[in-house]
Amino acid sequence: MELLQNLAIGFGVAMTPVNLGFALAGALVGTLIGVLPGIGPIATIAMLLPLTFHLEPVSGLIMLAGIFYGAQYGGSTTAILVNLPGETSSVVTCIDGHQMARQGRAGAALAVAALGSFFAGTVATLIIATLAPPLAMVGQSFGAPEYFSLLVLGLIAAVVLAHGSVIKAIGMIILGLLLGLIGTDGNTGGSRFTFGMTRLADGLDFVPMVIGLFGLGEIMVNLTQPGHTRSVVAKKVTGLWLTMQEFRQAWPAVLRGTGLGSVLGVLPGGGATLSSFAAYVFEKKVAKDPSRFGRGAIEGVAGPESANNAGAQTSFIPMLTLGIPGNAVMALMIGALTIHGIQPGPQIMTERPQLFWGMVASMWIGNLMLVIINLPLIGIWVQLLKIPYRVLYLSILLFCGIGVYTVNNSTFDVMMAALFGVLGYIFIKLECEPAPLILGFVLGPLMEDNLRRAMRISSGDPMIFMERPISLGLLIAAAMLLIIVALPAIRSKRAEVFQES
Amino acid sequence: MSEGEKKGQPFIPFRWETLARKNVLAGLLFIGVAVIGLWVSRHYPIGTALRMGTGYVPRLLLWILLVLGGVVLLQGLREARAHSETDGERTSILRPIVFVTLSLVAFALAIERLGLVISIVLLIGIGSLASRESKPLETLLTAAVLLAFSVAIFIVGLGLTMPVWPEW
Repeated sequence: MELLQNLAIGFGVAMTPVNLGFALAGALVGTLIGVLPGIGPIATIAMLLPLTFHLEPVSGLIMLAGIFYGAQYGGSTTAILVNLPGETSSVVTCIDGHQMARQGRAGAALAVAALGSFFAGTVATLIIATLAPPLAMVGQSFGAPEYFSLLVLGLIAAVVLAHGSVIKAIGMIILGLLLGLIGTDGNTGGSRFTFGMTRLADGLDFVPMVIGLFGLGEIMVNLTQPGHTRSVVAKKVTGLWLTMQEFRQAWPAVLRGTGLGSVLGVLPGGGATLSSFAAYVFEKKVAKDPSRFGRGAIEGVAGPESANNAGAQTSFIPMLTLGIPGNAVMALMIGALTIHGIQPGPQIMTERPQLFWGMVASMWIGNLMLVIINLPLIGIWVQLLKIPYRVLYLSILLFCGIGVYTVNNSTFDVMMAALFGVLGYIFIKLECEPAPLILGFVLGPLMEDNLRRAMRISSGDPMIFMERPISLGLLIAAAMLLIIVALPAIRSKRAEVFQES
Repeated sequence: MSEGEKKGQPFIPFRWETLARKNVLAGLLFIGVAVIGLWVSRHYPIGTALRMGTGYVPRLLLWILLVLGGVVLLQGLREARAHSETDGERTSILRPIVFVTLSLVAFALAIERLGLVISIVLLIGIGSLASRESKPLETLLTAAVLLAFSVAIFIVGLGLTMPVWPEW
């Protein structure tokens, strides 16, 4: 069994004390920021990118991945106990989770969220292990034209499935692609948009940009909103277990949520948030008595919480196998890889099996840790909710500042981060999501490279994208997505799915 | 005076109200970037599709951005009035932006000459002005805790080389 062999390699890497430590660190930080509203996984991973600079690539990735799925666990705690989503992916958990808490069933809600997540995490890890190798083989057989079309499809799908205006999102992708072009053109040696600054000759640095856009921009947005006071449910949570009846009600929802989340996670633009929203809508549809929802239906917690964890994890598949980030977190992962000089793409699995399988194995270990971190230790996390945002944002601000500075010991980088912070604020206020911009920025050089190579293959004839069947198929799929999303009926449905909050 | 003014609506100069719409601003932002980009790249060699010059891909993207910006702008102009106007929260908008930015600039300027400790104090001090809810004593305490934390993680833990104290 090749799978078992691969997993053995993976566990060998993931079980070293150092990597276990980083998995735990990731899970802890993930839970922490999951619990705290006002800071999400994107900002945190951006903030910690500089730290991974000083680590082995695999340790860094293990930690960053842990933050992402750890946040899915932590987010549910706040949602259930305080009726505030710690993360956007746990918005729907508030609906029934908090009702359960008010009925004195907080323990059951927390238990089902954690156990459902763990089950989903286990299944998702297995899915990655089985699905990734064949996908990477497909990816490796692609030539430049196919790869270019695949990148186009990936970017389009990412904006279609995300929320907000599609046109603005495409605009943000283009903006990201353009920012990615800043610096010296690798093919001709000419410099582009450097404004005569030697600092920009090597291109814009990734870290100051993402820390500015996601870390600092978010602080500014949060501070302009009226202060949200949190009412913590101070009661001690008891009975962290399920009754037989609750168990019977919950497990089919866990299965459905896991399935739905696994599928939606793989799609570009998918991931945790989309999965949880879709799972909630789905649970309501299949329920015998939909009126129970909103009044403490355990399926309304079990489904979405399983789905968001499954989705968070399977969204690693396109990133690890094809080098295509489906969401902003995956774009940051790619950034982390490139910081270490690792070119993401289908070759990662064959060239660096240790890295790939180590990370996959660590996901399962991390999930196991998270159950322990979240269930018995719940009291500690609840206490943390008492930290007011006015203290929290100062800590974020400081970590952003020091983090950016340490990458290159560069004052210029800190200034750039501040500049991107203001830009990030403006983007968010104008409802231009910064996430597509990062996707574009990460993929820009790759796209241009493949475009150039494709043109050389075809002697400058753009019809090559139409003549190659796979490339044509991918482009047709991208075009169809755009047409579908433009249809009025779909448009309103799409708005509805993302509206629930 | 704008002619589309309906009765009963408060009088606001038409131009300004339209400008405040998110899509109008977003469209103008895209168009602005595209125009500046096209101007900056006006001398970049374009080359041919086969032998793409430095300017080929950037200029292509900039034209697409220009068109998209136009579409977003049109959408914004045609929107129903009340929809998507930027919220009237002007009073508190500037404060966070100014002080968050300033705190980082101060940190950046201070770190090399004045060292980590003073830089952190500056960053927290200026940064705390960004929130109206900050309390002096609490900020002081936060600064102390974060100071200890940062030195422990970055200097002791990761062994990074940056000055901790001012260099005379």
